[in-house]
Amino acid sequence: MNDTANMSQADRAAQRQREVPASGGAGAAGVAAREAASTGGRRVRTYTADISAVGEPALWAFGGALALGIILIAGFLAMIAWNGFTTFWPKPIAQVELRDGTTIAGEPTRGGTYRPGESVLVQLNDQQRAEIAENLGFAERTLYKTANFDLYGDDFRWVSDFEVANVTYPTDMHLFQRQQWGDFVGRVAGLVIAGEEVPFDYDLMQREQSEARRRFNEIRNIERSEIGALNHYIERERLNIRRAELRHGAESARGAELIAQSRERIAEYQAQFADLQARVNDIRAIDRNYRVILEEVNGQTKDTELSQIVRFYPANDLTTLDKTGIYFSRWWEFVSTEPREANTQGGVLPAIFGTVAMTLLMVIFVAPFGVITALYLREYAKQGRITSIVRISVNNLAGVPSIVYGVFGLGFFAYAMGGTIDQLFYPEALPNPTFGKGGILWASLTLALLTVPVVIVASEEALAAVPRSMREGSLACGASKWQTIRYVVLPKAMPGIMTGMILAMARGAGEVAPLMLVGVVKLAPALPIDGFYPFIHLDRSFMHLGFHIFDVGFQSRNSEAGKPMVFVTTLLLLALIVTMNATAITVRNRLKRKYAGSQF
Amino acid sequence: MKKLVLALSAATLFAGAAQAQQVDQSLGNYEPVSGVSGNLTSIGSDTLNNLMTLWSEGFRGFYPNVAIQIQGAGSGTAPPALVEGTAQFGPMSRPMRGSEIEEFEARYGYEPTPIRGAIDALGVFVHRDNPIECLSLQEVDAIFSSTRAGGADAAITTWGEAGLTGEWADRPIAMYGRNSASGTYGYFREVALSGGDYSPEVREQPGSSTVIQGVASDINGIGYSGIGYATADVKAIQIRAEDGTCYAPEGEAAATGLYPLARFLYIYVNKDPNQDLEPLRAEFIRYVYSIQGQEDVVRAGFFPLVKMVAEQDLAAFGLAD
Repeated sequence: MNDTANMSQADRAAQRQREVPASGGAGAAGVAAREAASTGGRRVRTYTADISAVGEPALWAFGGALALGIILIAGFLAMIAWNGFTTFWPKPIAQVELRDGTTIAGEPTRGGTYRPGESVLVQLNDQQRAEIAENLGFAERTLYKTANFDLYGDDFRWVSDFEVANVTYPTDMHLFQRQQWGDFVGRVAGLVIAGEEVPFDYDLMQREQSEARRRFNEIRNIERSEIGALNHYIERERLNIRRAELRHGAESARGAELIAQSRERIAEYQAQFADLQARVNDIRAIDRNYRVILEEVNGQTKDTELSQIVRFYPANDLTTLDKTGIYFSRWWEFVSTEPREANTQGGVLPAIFGTVAMTLLMVIFVAPFGVITALYLREYAKQGRITSIVRISVNNLAGVPSIVYGVFGLGFFAYAMGGTIDQLFYPEALPNPTFGKGGILWASLTLALLTVPVVIVASEEALAAVPRSMREGSLACGASKWQTIRYVVLPKAMPGIMTGMILAMARGAGEVAPLMLVGVVKLAPALPIDGFYPFIHLDRSFMHLGFHIFDVGFQSRNSEAGKPMVFVTTLLLLALIVTMNATAITVRNRLKRKYAGSQF
Repeated sequence: MKKLVLALSAATLFAGAAQAQQVDQSLGNYEPVSGVSGNLTSIGSDTLNNLMTLWSEGFRGFYPNVAIQIQGAGSGTAPPALVEGTAQFGPMSRPMRGSEIEEFEARYGYEPTPIRGAIDALGVFVHRDNPIECLSLQEVDAIFSSTRAGGADAAITTWGEAGLTGEWADRPIAMYGRNSASGTYGYFREVALSGGDYSPEVREQPGSSTVIQGVASDINGIGYSGIGYATADVKAIQIRAEDGTCYAPEGEAAATGLYPLARFLYIYVNKDPNQDLEPLRAEFIRYVYSIQGQEDVVRAGFFPLVKMVAEQDLAAFGLAD
């Protein structure tokens, strides 16, 4: 089969050769043409060489493989980009009246053709059946995002076309994004401003809503920074008491003194806490006087505080400019806020932060280790059996499945090392582990282990590529071996080493499986870096974009609603990796330029 | 008359007719206390993953600087995490096994204490176009099991054997299930398969939501998953109880236990019987049993508890008022 295909290709090549004599084209044609020329060009030579000796079929295969690869990658990127970039674009809300008299309202999300079963068909009238029969038994249906989970108990609904009596797009239909319970689709039935009912006015509501959100953020701010700080201090004093008990004993004079001091401070903090709590309650009381009554399409109402509305817009009454504004404000919300509703809504700021922090920490660990190992192996170690065994081992390490690193990280770093650290330095917190569980430190160490082979191999290659003449020149000038390495070899090899680091970073940032064991969590409200001593909390668990994708796509309550978020998050993760790589590449290119002129 | 019946069934078919659950108002609102702070870690069930997240979001609304970390890889990961002390809460979608309790007891000298946070009706899902309405547990067993401990004579491998006619009669059944670390896997095996073995044909999925996605994309599919994970693409079928009536996995039937696959969702806690629970964990448990906590249960798609259960569990922790 293959042979005949190849033969016919060769025949075709020969055919071309006869038609266009001595054309001097590429590949086999060119070879044949030169042969023809060497025989004087009088007669056109028919092609007789063995097929295995000709490059052209291979050329086509290579080209084809490359094209296929490019198409696949481009298609993949295009799919992610399309789905990711369109998610936040406001969609219209359709009000659908069904033939059975009910009405639903929602964003049409996707549709499809299906073949209604007999049990469905018997419930239809003749006209509907005729319509379906006309379509060879197929019918169209659309999935509407009806939202309003608190009223309906579901948020998506399939509607077949034969059920539909009428579809309209009323301009007073609004989409409300809420702090809790997800979206609401419906109208505004009433507005209460400062305790008084006022007629609905879009601009007024817009103004009052942003004011209410300002109050909401103020409350959050007090809770996060001021109450948060108090809580942190109280926790610290609680641990101080426990430490005093462990060290001095609760009965001893010193212990009792320390405990009394801590208790006093706790009482002080709690008084401050009460003040702050009162302030928050005051704002909340004001907040309760600003309400909105939402009405879904069939007239059920929902009374909610204005501050609970994150965003609202009349979905069917928007200009392109309005839509663009909403689009960018949703993107901004996505990259700058915390997730809500079990990660299916809101933003991914903690995940972005966790991904970047973990990757940078990993680079800090992996860079010195990898480069030092490569330096010793290449420059100092006696090349022999042992170094080749080490090299083979390093190469094999690169092939170990990443989940194995995860298991190792959990067992060795978290349980063994972390457990020991806890017993030595944090006995007061036990049985709650401080380092004896997954955390950002253990995760980045595990990933450093995972990526160190890449760095070693790349660094070795880079060191080997430094010309012998340069080393000898340096040595001949009287430099010691270390001076040669430090001032001649390393700078010259730096761009190559950087390439290894870039590869390691790309691999590390995209890796998820081992992280699930050593510190990535679904929800980690506290960032690993904050304003409390010691500022960098390496023991904390963190969120990661890669895991976030898995979580939202496969673990969220409503996978339908999570789907768009998966694409957006994927897009963001890709963008993040590209940015980190681009930065590293820029640095590498600067290094290259810097050392380009310093050759002998 | 016939028309009315048809209209009614059509309404249920198309509207889904699901209504949001009502929370028992006698549970009382959550009243925050001062001085609660610290770190909490929860490791365990993936069915409870979202619910734990919603609880912790709500709890953090009262105690802004409490940090709660949540991992959910399956109920089987909860007992070792509690024994190792890496987690303070071990959410599980099944009760702990004897061996797991023993292991815990060997380390601490007392048993772990469970709280029942919510009710789940384990749904048996089929593709939305599948006309099947009701299956008995024995039929479910004959579909999913290779040993048929439920007593069925023959395995059910096509939808025709499960009672469908017409174009469905020859369609093979494609089973979707959970992986063995999952509590749902264990519970389903215990209750639906009467302790028998799963057929090797069951496609094991890593998450509750992946089971639903599998069934949604496979017209011949059937799978089991927490009812909270249902989407518009799948249909939860009714289960025929011992008394011969079919019960849908809905509030009333689930809460009263008439629906045969209704279960409690647990959170296991390491509580020393001779010591009071420290405020952080105690307040979290109190929050779970408040109106706010049970509203989170509804938001996660599960069924809220009644006050009686809450009182029993709070008493077990010495937290009853």
